[in-house]
Amino acid sequence: MHVVIINGSPRVQKYSNTDKIIASFAKGLSKKGASFETYAISNRKSWEIIRDAYIKNEEILIALPLYVECIPGLLLEFLETLPRKNEHTRISFLLQSGFAEGCQLRCGEEFLAKLPEYLGVRYGGCLVKGDNFGIRLLNEEKQEQITKPYQAMGELFTEGDGFLREEAKKFTGPEYFPLPVRLIMQLVFKTFGKKMFQKAAASWGCAVPLDKKIWG
Amino acid sequence: MVLMIDTTIKHIGKQIAEELLHNGGNPAALELIDTAGMNISHCVGCNYCWLKTPGICAIKDDYTPILKKMSKADQVWLISDTHFGFLSYQTKNIVDRVMPLVTMYLKFKDGQMRHVMRYDHQPDIGIIYTGDGDQAYLERWCGRTALNFGSSSLGVFPAENRKEAVLCML
Repeated sequence: MHVVIINGSPRVQKYSNTDKIIASFAKGLSKKGASFETYAISNRKSWEIIRDAYIKNEEILIALPLYVECIPGLLLEFLETLPRKNEHTRISFLLQSGFAEGCQLRCGEEFLAKLPEYLGVRYGGCLVKGDNFGIRLLNEEKQEQITKPYQAMGELFTEGDGFLREEAKKFTGPEYFPLPVRLIMQLVFKTFGKKMFQKAAASWGCAVPLDKKIWG
Repeated sequence: MVLMIDTTIKHIGKQIAEELLHNGGNPAALELIDTAGMNISHCVGCNYCWLKTPGICAIKDDYTPILKKMSKADQVWLISDTHFGFLSYQTKNIVDRVMPLVTMYLKFKDGQMRHVMRYDHQPDIGIIYTGDGDQAYLERWCGRTALNFGSSSLGVFPAENRKEAVLCML
């Protein structure tokens, strides 16, 4: 199996959470003897090369962050430039988000499930996983640790069913958090969570409150 | 205030605004922005508007005044062409860049994680679209998006039914 992996995030690759997820996923591919090539749409200059890889290959994986309940505007723009292909080509998706629960990504997933038909190609399923906001804030070692579960999904992918497998569905985790968990998290958000974000902001050179109002 | 943001190739926003005024809409409470010729980047996901310069987008382009108007509007109408059954990328870029109106802070609302909004006032959101839009999907998307902002969906209308949309603006 040879997989063309396209990072659909608009963020520069260096800070891209999706990029770190792809790296782990690709380890799983390699482990099972599959090969891959990776691209990122964040750099417009590479769009022609990515299009060319899309045209020449039949196993495509687009990994992307959820942007306002759907796909990022930049990825929409890129997709509009793709030529129509046929059912020999299969597109699978890896949709990730900052929000943690599965229910947050379902509206985006619905769009992705319908997209292959517009492109003339087959749908290989969508791996859905939240709780990824913090990846970029970690050091390299911790990034590797936190993205490790994606490696098993890479291995699963080589079995040929895309993400149309029970294991891939389960990977999402809880659809909603149970009430006791929500109550604890709510408390954390208001206390430790706020401090943690303020600390992260300070390390970026921010000296004002994160909820500062710019306009009255 | 009713704010219409028109990214359509045929500039249908002008006609809709005229119909609203014809129906007794208050010209002082209406603003139409036609984005043709404007320089509006996509969101690059830098997170600066949450963590480095809270409330301020790092990209300085023609979007800045649009964002300010959105934060003060009672209704925001996205007037969009469609592609893949969804909004055009031009419109999605405008939506993706509302993040300065949102803070990094989190809360739970109706059982789901939400960001705490930066301002007390949130606009309701509606869509008027041209072309072969996926009505059911656009309704789902608009409802979800409004939920994120703690506001309501005004509905989704194909351009030929714009008269119904205009009635929601009065």
